[in-house]
Amino acid sequence: MEHEIVRKEDLNQQDYLIEVRAPDVAKKFRAGQFAVLITNPKGERVPMSIQKAENGNVVMFIKKLGKTSVELYKYKVGDCLENLIGPMGNPIEVKKYGNVAVCSDLVCGHAENYAISKALSAVEGNHVISMQTFPSKDMMYLEEELREVSDEYYITLEDGSYGIKGHYRDVLKQMLEQGKIDMVFAGGHTSGYVPLEKLTKAYNVPTMVTLRPIMVDATGMCGSCRVFIDGEMKLACIDGPIFDAHKVNFDYLLNRVQMFKKQETIATEHYNNKMMVK
Amino acid sequence: MAKMVKTRVPMPELSVETRLKTFNEVPLGYTEEQAISEAKRCLQCKDAPCRKDCPVHIDVKGFVKKLAEGQFKEAFLKIKEDNPIPAIAGRVCPQENQCEGTCTMGKAGDPINIGKLESFLGDWAMRNGVKEELVIEEKDKKVAVIGSGPSGISCAVDLRKYGYKVTVFEALHKAGGVLQYGIPEFRLPKKVVDEELLYLQNIGVDIRLNSIIGQNVSFKELQDEYDAIYVGTGAGAPFFVGISGEGLNGVYSANEFLIRTNLMKAYNFPEYDTPLVVGKKVGVIGSGNVAMDSARSARRFGAEVYILYRRTKDYCPAREEELRHALEEGIHFMELVAPTRIFGENGWIKGIELQRMKLGKPDKDGRPRPEKIEGSEFIMELDTLVEAIGTTPNRLFLRTVPELKTSSHGIIAVDDKLMNTEGIFAGGDAISGGATVIQALGEGRKAAKSIHEYLSKS
Repeated sequence: MEHEIVRKEDLNQQDYLIEVRAPDVAKKFRAGQFAVLITNPKGERVPMSIQKAENGNVVMFIKKLGKTSVELYKYKVGDCLENLIGPMGNPIEVKKYGNVAVCSDLVCGHAENYAISKALSAVEGNHVISMQTFPSKDMMYLEEELREVSDEYYITLEDGSYGIKGHYRDVLKQMLEQGKIDMVFAGGHTSGYVPLEKLTKAYNVPTMVTLRPIMVDATGMCGSCRVFIDGEMKLACIDGPIFDAHKVNFDYLLNRVQMFKKQETIATEHYNNKMMVK
Repeated sequence: MAKMVKTRVPMPELSVETRLKTFNEVPLGYTEEQAISEAKRCLQCKDAPCRKDCPVHIDVKGFVKKLAEGQFKEAFLKIKEDNPIPAIAGRVCPQENQCEGTCTMGKAGDPINIGKLESFLGDWAMRNGVKEELVIEEKDKKVAVIGSGPSGISCAVDLRKYGYKVTVFEALHKAGGVLQYGIPEFRLPKKVVDEELLYLQNIGVDIRLNSIIGQNVSFKELQDEYDAIYVGTGAGAPFFVGISGEGLNGVYSANEFLIRTNLMKAYNFPEYDTPLVVGKKVGVIGSGNVAMDSARSARRFGAEVYILYRRTKDYCPAREEELRHALEEGIHFMELVAPTRIFGENGWIKGIELQRMKLGKPDKDGRPRPEKIEGSEFIMELDTLVEAIGTTPNRLFLRTVPELKTSSHGIIAVDDKLMNTEGIFAGGDAISGGATVIQALGEGRKAAKSIHEYLSKS
């Protein structure tokens, strides 16, 4: 059966993993790309980060947040998605960067962290330093797997209950100070990219971030995901989703992602009511 | 000879009041009796000018004659000889510039309502399960068609009739291209599109959805597997005006506005997941069919709507029927204005600055060029803006196939056989940058013929 869910696991109380049968997507996936998921015939097209694609299966990390992610959480192993389309977007350039920090502080970012760390570790001359941030110890995941695909690994927790207390930016700052970082890849909270960009700019270190504007078709047709890079309009779906953080207009992006907030609440309420009636 | 009837059999339409509450189709269609009466008005001119100006040269005179005689099946099959999707073309063709524009009856009264007779027959055949009976002589060669819009459909159908194995690759999760994502339900019901597409499957065309050439299928793979390729990728990427404020919330490309509405069914939100935010006062920049589609959709979402156009209504490129429907539905038409900037508040659009224009000397297509009137800028408050100023071929596809020859804005270059490079043909909006459904159909057919000649030689 196409797009069958073959594995579903909780990552923590909010985040979960699903592994879906999708040989077409898996065959072409490269680090940095994403997929578009549709749960049912009335569903929206949702861009999803991919952790890995192996043996014809695609593994995605998802936060229970909006209507679709909550609905999808109810799907069981053996159920099928309406569609999983991709890979979309451009992969990162896999080459020798030297000392590369790969950082994440949000579910989608953690998935990308794994894909990017793994791809870059395979290049001779790269020293991959993977960093994750979570609120607390009970929320953390992926440590073991990330250690396997990186040369150095750091975990920072906001409450300090394990690893280093603080944010990955604190660790990164120390390393930048010591001149240990040649390149940064980051994925996660868009608001977090703003201080990150300021930090790495001070040390003149190139920084690539994954942008997550709202998308509809994700094939370059609607223009919903337009972002401004060095003042020029680009589409995150086909020109990105990964861009040079030093050139991104973040104010614009942070505003754009708010556009459908009210409707997202309506959709969730509608879904919850429907579930209650059932 | 029967008495000349100067006026058309009126087309029953939904009342304006009902239209504004639904996305249902506006024209209700002729009954069998009405269609026959309308067809009987045809003078059966010897020179049949109606056929000449049709991009696919439908034997209009022939099908109207059969229809006037009540021979619906024969009339339907007559159209099918030249047009694979009559139920669609009858609804969306700009007939006033083609068959109906040259109709002799038009000189004495109303031209024959050819479009509505065509869609009547398409609908009649669907309702009655009447199909063309084809005997296909299978050939070994295979052709890939990229894009399932009008040109891809017609090219695929003809290639299949020649006997080739045809696979159509569609990037979206539904087939039909602009017929599916662009043209609204009230103008072209998706049920009609889906039914017409079933015909492709019935004659053995393989349609592969979610196949994005350059992303999950490479062009090289197509070249290796197929003997010829037809590129019918359309002009799916939006142009933006390029003024400040286009990043504000509440500003859409017409493509986004219509994709959310049509493909994703935002008018049924939250039953369908995808929303659309439509404010109380909506401006639409442009005045082509896409602008009308956006404006009329916005009206159905309950907004007060303004078309903002830099020329006057007389030069509006939309179909006559669309403009008429838009005006009936209470859409305001602001003439001789061009946007200069968009301004906002708290991240949302609050209004637009417009500059007054005047009509100048004719440009190369004969329409007067709009000229700015300096110092005439004024402010109009709006909470939603839709930009419908045209589209361009999608660079996602183009950049993965650098060997394709292109001209400006990524428009695919072709010779008089619609060939780009050895074995690769193209047609539709991908080579025109944006034209009509019927022109795309015509090019799809022409390319199929060229592909057949090409494959017969090799």
